[in-house]
Amino acid sequence: MRPFNYIAAKTRQEALTAIQEREEAKYLGGGTNLVDLMKEDVERPEHLIEVADLDNDRITANAAGGYTLAAAKSNSATANAPEIRKNYPLLSMAMLSAATAQIRNMATNGGNLLQRTRCPYFFETSMPCNKREPGSGCGALEGANAKHAIFGWSKSCVATHPSDMCVALAALEATVSVQAPDGSERTIDFTDFHRLPGSSPEKDNTLEPGELITAIDLPKPQFTEHYHYLKIRERSSYAFALISVAAGLKIRGGIITDAGLAMGGVAHKPWKLTSAEAYLIGKKPSTTHFEEAARLALEDAQTLAYNAYKVPMGSKAIVRALEQAYAKKA
Amino acid sequence: MNSYTSKGTGNPINRVEGKLKVTGMAKYASEFNVKDLVYAQGINSTIAKGRITAVDTSEAEAQKGVLAVITFKNAEKLAQYEKDLHPLSTTSIQPVLQSNEVHYYGEYVGMVVAETFEQAQYAARLVKYTYDESKPDIDFQASKPKAYKPTEQSDYSRGDVASGLAEADVTLDETYVTPIEHHHPMELHALIGSWNNGNVQAYASQQMIDNAAKTIADTFKIDKKNVRVMSPYVGGGFGSKLAAKQHVILALMASKAVGRPVQFTVTRTQMFTNTNLRQRNEQRIQIGAKKDGTLTALSHDTLSHTSTYEQYQESCGTVSKMLYKTPNNSVTHRLMPMNLQTPFAMRAPGEATGSFALESAMDEMAYKLDMDPVEFRIKNDTQVDPSNDKPFSSRLLNECLRLGAKEFGWENRPKTPGTMSEGNWLVGYGVSGASRRAPFMKTSAKVILELKDNKVYATLQMDATDIGTGSYTILAQTVSEYLDIPVAQVDVELGDSEYPVTPGSGGSWGAASFANGARAACEQAMKDLKVKAGATDATSTAALMQASNLNTLEAEGTAEPDEEYKAHSVFSFGANFTEVWVDKDTGVFRIKRMLNVASCGKILNPKTAFGQIIGGCAMGAGMAIAERTEVEPNYGNFITRSFADYHVPVNLDMANIDVIYLPEEDKIANKMGIKGIGELGITSVAASIANAVFNATGKRMRELPLTPEKMILK
Ligand SMILES: Cc1cc2nc3c(=O)[nH]c(=O)nc-3n(C[C@H](O)[C@H](O)[C@H](O)COP(=O)(O)OP(=O)(O)OC[C@H]3O[C@@H](n4cnc5c(N)ncnc54)[C@H](O)[C@@H]3O)c2cc1C
Ligand code: SF4
Repeated sequence: MRPFNYIAAKTRQEALTAIQEREEAKYLGGGTNLVDLMKEDVERPEHLIEVADLDNDRITANAAGGYTLAAAKSNSATANAPEIRKNYPLLSMAMLSAATAQIRNMATNGGNLLQRTRCPYFFETSMPCNKREPGSGCGALEGANAKHAIFGWSKSCVATHPSDMCVALAALEATVSVQAPDGSERTIDFTDFHRLPGSSPEKDNTLEPGELITAIDLPKPQFTEHYHYLKIRERSSYAFALISVAAGLKIRGGIITDAGLAMGGVAHKPWKLTSAEAYLIGKKPSTTHFEEAARLALEDAQTLAYNAYKVPMGSKAIVRALEQAYAKKA
Repeated sequence: MNSYTSKGTGNPINRVEGKLKVTGMAKYASEFNVKDLVYAQGINSTIAKGRITAVDTSEAEAQKGVLAVITFKNAEKLAQYEKDLHPLSTTSIQPVLQSNEVHYYGEYVGMVVAETFEQAQYAARLVKYTYDESKPDIDFQASKPKAYKPTEQSDYSRGDVASGLAEADVTLDETYVTPIEHHHPMELHALIGSWNNGNVQAYASQQMIDNAAKTIADTFKIDKKNVRVMSPYVGGGFGSKLAAKQHVILALMASKAVGRPVQFTVTRTQMFTNTNLRQRNEQRIQIGAKKDGTLTALSHDTLSHTSTYEQYQESCGTVSKMLYKTPNNSVTHRLMPMNLQTPFAMRAPGEATGSFALESAMDEMAYKLDMDPVEFRIKNDTQVDPSNDKPFSSRLLNECLRLGAKEFGWENRPKTPGTMSEGNWLVGYGVSGASRRAPFMKTSAKVILELKDNKVYATLQMDATDIGTGSYTILAQTVSEYLDIPVAQVDVELGDSEYPVTPGSGGSWGAASFANGARAACEQAMKDLKVKAGATDATSTAALMQASNLNTLEAEGTAEPDEEYKAHSVFSFGANFTEVWVDKDTGVFRIKRMLNVASCGKILNPKTAFGQIIGGCAMGAGMAIAERTEVEPNYGNFITRSFADYHVPVNLDMANIDVIYLPEEDKIANKMGIKGIGELGITSVAASIANAVFNATGKRMRELPLTPEKMILK
C-alpha cells in the first residue's frame, strides 16, 4: 500500500475543512471498500479523513413523517434498529443480506452508497478499465462479463453497482443529504444519486468534489406489510448478488395501490423498474400480472457475451419477489 | 473427551495441541521471532507470455528501508531442469528468476527485500517492467490440437472397449467438466529463512519436511544435511504445501543476498498465481451395460492442461480402472501446454475430479437401465482390483451403500425425477460410491522415555507434520497405547528435519504411516526395556524402567510395508448420500442433509476423523456449489483473485453432514489396521450432489460448479 496520512474528524466541520485544505484526500467510513482498494493500488488517496465517528451517528424522525439515517451509522445498527425493522422492513432485509456480520458492523451508510463496482478489471491495475483509468478501455466489454450490466451500459463501461442497501433505497424513493466544503447543503433524489456510465464511467454518482454525505432521508413508513428482498447469489451468504429484486406492495381492498420495485446486479446504478411499478398500480395481485410486470421490466435489457442468463433469471426473480411480498404476513 | 485421563487409541479425545492453537501459542511459519528479520515481497508478471525487455528498479531502490531488488538480472544462478517439460513432483527443483521469459500471468519476475513488510510491499509496486508480449495460449478449446501424451501415467487398457460397447444393451457417451480450483489453505504459504556458514535454516509451512529439504538442497546445489526445515504447525495444505514452492527459494535467495533472515509471506492473491492449482479436466466417459445392469465396457478419457515448461496431471481415470468390475476398460490422459501455472495435486488428485465423471455417469446409466442407482453399483462390485488382479485388502463398498441407503431413507426418494416438492423447492436424493488409495509408507520415529516420580513420560519425535488433521493427537494416543501410559504423559514433537524421516502429510498416508512408525519406536523401546530388565515380574512400563535401573531410554523404530501389503490393492471406500432442495425457478439449491458412510480401517480418534470426513464433504460441496477459478479470456489472468470472488461454501449452504464409520481393522494394510481418510471424504461428493439435483429437477448437470447461472440456462 502507498503511504498515506490519517486524520480523524470528530465533527462535520472538521471533516469538511480537512478535505478542503488537501489535494488527493478522501473520506473514510468503515474502510471495508476503500482500504481494500488502496491495498490493490486502485484508490490512491494521500490523506484519509475518517468520518465514521462523526457526531451524527443517529436515526431520527424527520419532517416528512419518516426517518433520517445518519451517514456515519453502521449498516448493522441501521438494519437492526427497531424503527427501521418496523417501518422499512424491506430496507432492513436488503441490508442484512449483504456481506457478513463483521463487514456490516464496520460498514457505514455513507460508505455503502459509495462502494465501488466489483468488476474484476477495475480491481486489477494491469487490466484496462475506463472507470479506474479513463481512456484505457473497458476490459469487460469484450471480456469476462458474466456479472455485468444488462441495462443502461455504454461502450465505455458495463459495470454494475454492487450494493443491496441501495436497491431497497431506490424502491423506497429515499433522498440523500449532502454538504459541500463551503458549508452549503443540498438533497439528491435517490434515483438521481448514482449515474449511468455514459462516456465518463469514472464518475459513479452525482456528488461534487469534497461533498460529504450527511444522511439518508426516508419518506413515510412504506411497504410494511408486503415486501420482499430477493437476492440470487452463488452461495447462501457472503456473496454479491447476481440479480436482486426489492419489491414492496401496498394492497388495499385487494388492489395494488402502490408499488416499489428495483433491481440490483443489472446496471451501473440501482435499477428502478418504473414501468413495472406503474403497470402494477390498480391491478389485483396475481401471478399473471406479476409476469407482465417482469416482462415490462426486462423489455429493454441488452445482454453481453456472457450474461444472457440475467434476463430469464431477472424475470423469475421479479415474479418471485412479488409473489413473496404479496404472500408475506407482516 | 478429556485427553488427560485417556489411554490408547480409539477414543474421541480433544486435540492435545488444541489449547495452544486457541490461545495463539502454536507458532506457524511466519510467526517465529527471529532476530534482525527483514521482509521480501514477490513481484508478479502482468502478462501471460513474452519476454522482459527492460526493468527499472531505481525508484524502488531509492525507497526508505529497501535493502535489495532482485530480478532475473541479478538473481543467484540456481540448478536448472535438465529436460523440457519436466514432470513436476514433490521433490522437483524450483528454479526462479533465472530468465527473462514469462510463461504465465502472475509468474514471479522479481522481489523487493526491505526492513518492514509495508516498505517491501510498497516498493514492489514501483519496480517497472517493460515486456515484449506475445499472444498467450489461454483458450482451452483452441489448445486442443496441441494435446500430447504425458510422460508418466501412460494409457491403460484391458479387454476391448469397442466390442464391450457393441455387446451392450444400453450405452452412454458423455463428457464431464471440472474447472480450475485452488487449494487455499487458511494459512498462507510462508517462510522465514536464513543462511549461516552455508547452512540453511527455514521455518516453513510444508506438508513434507524431507522433500522440502531436498528441493532446497537441490535447487541451491548444496547437501541436504545442510538444510534444516521446521514446520511444527501447518494451517492446512490440501496438497499445495506438498512441495516447496518458489517463494521458499526466493526467501532463501534474498537472505543470502542481504545477509539477514528473510520472511516471505505469499499474499492471498499470490495463492492463486504462485502455489499451483487443480487443473480443469474434460472427461469423456463411455459405458456399456447389459439390461440386467452388468457392465460390459467402461472408458475414461481425460483432457487437461499444464504449463508450457512442466508436466503435471491428476489421474482422473484411476478410479475407473478399479472401482467396478468390467472386462473391457480403457483409460487415457492427455495434456495441453498452456500459458497457465503448472497444476499440482489438490486433495484427492484424480479421485475428487475423476469420481465426479464416473459417479455421474453411473447415475445416468442407472436411470437409463431403470435400476436403483444403489443396486446398480452393488451389482458391479468386485473384490479383486481388476486393474492388477490383486485382491483388495478389504473392500466394504457394498456394505457402505447398503447401510447408507437404510440410514438415509433412500427408499423415500422420488423414483421419477422432478416429482417431489416442498413449496417452491424441488426435492431430490443422490448417491455416489467413493474410493481412495490408502497407502502406507516407510516411516521412522524416535521415542524418549523418562522416569519421574514413578511415572514414565515419553517424547515422540518424527519429521511428520500436523496440517490441521490431528497428527499430534493420534500420535500421542498411539504412544500411550504402545507404552501403556496415559496420553497426558506423552509429548509429541513434529515437523523438524532433525527428527527421523517420515513421508510427511499427503496422499492419505499420514495417519497409517506415522502411527505405525510411532508404534515401531515404542515396540523397540519396550523390547529394549525387557532385555535390560532381565527376569522380572514387573509389567508396567514404569516398573520395567525401575527394574532396569534406567531413568531415561531412547529407541528408534521404522515401519514399512510388508509382502502381504504389496500383494494386495489397498483402498478406503465410502458412499455418499445427499438430499438437495432446488428452487423451481431461480436455479438456487441447498444441500439439506448429507450422509457419508466410510470404510477406512481402524479409527484412531473418532473426533479428529470426523473432522476429516466432514471437511472433505464440505470441500466436495464447494466443488458442486461454487468453487472455480476463472481465466480472463484475453489476458490470461485469474479474475477470481480473492475470497470475495472465489466462493467456498458457507455454513448455510451445508446443513447437516452425518458420518458413519464401518467398524473395521485392515491388518493387511498395516499392523495397526489403519487406512487413510483425509481424501476419502471429498471423493465423489460433487457427483452425489449433482445426482441429487438431477433427481430433483431432471436436469443433468455435467459441468461443475452448479451455479444458478448454469441451472437457469439448462
Ligand atoms: C468481501 C465483501 C463482501 C461484500 N458483500 C456485499 C454484499 O453482498 N452486498 C453489499 O451491498 N455490499 C457488500 N459489501 C460491500 C460493503 O457493503 C461496503 O464495503 C460497505 O458498505 C462500505 O462502507 P464503508 O463505510 O466501509 O465505506 P468505506 O470503504 O470507508 O468508503 C467507501 C467510499 O465511500 C466514501 N465515503 C465514506 N463515507 C462517506 C461520507 N459520509 N461522505 C462521502 N463519502 C464517503 C469513501 O471515501 C470511499 O470512497 C461487501 C464487501 C466486502 C469486502
Ligand atoms: S465495466 Fe467499467 S469497471 Fe469494468 S472494466 Fe469496463 S470500465 Fe472498468
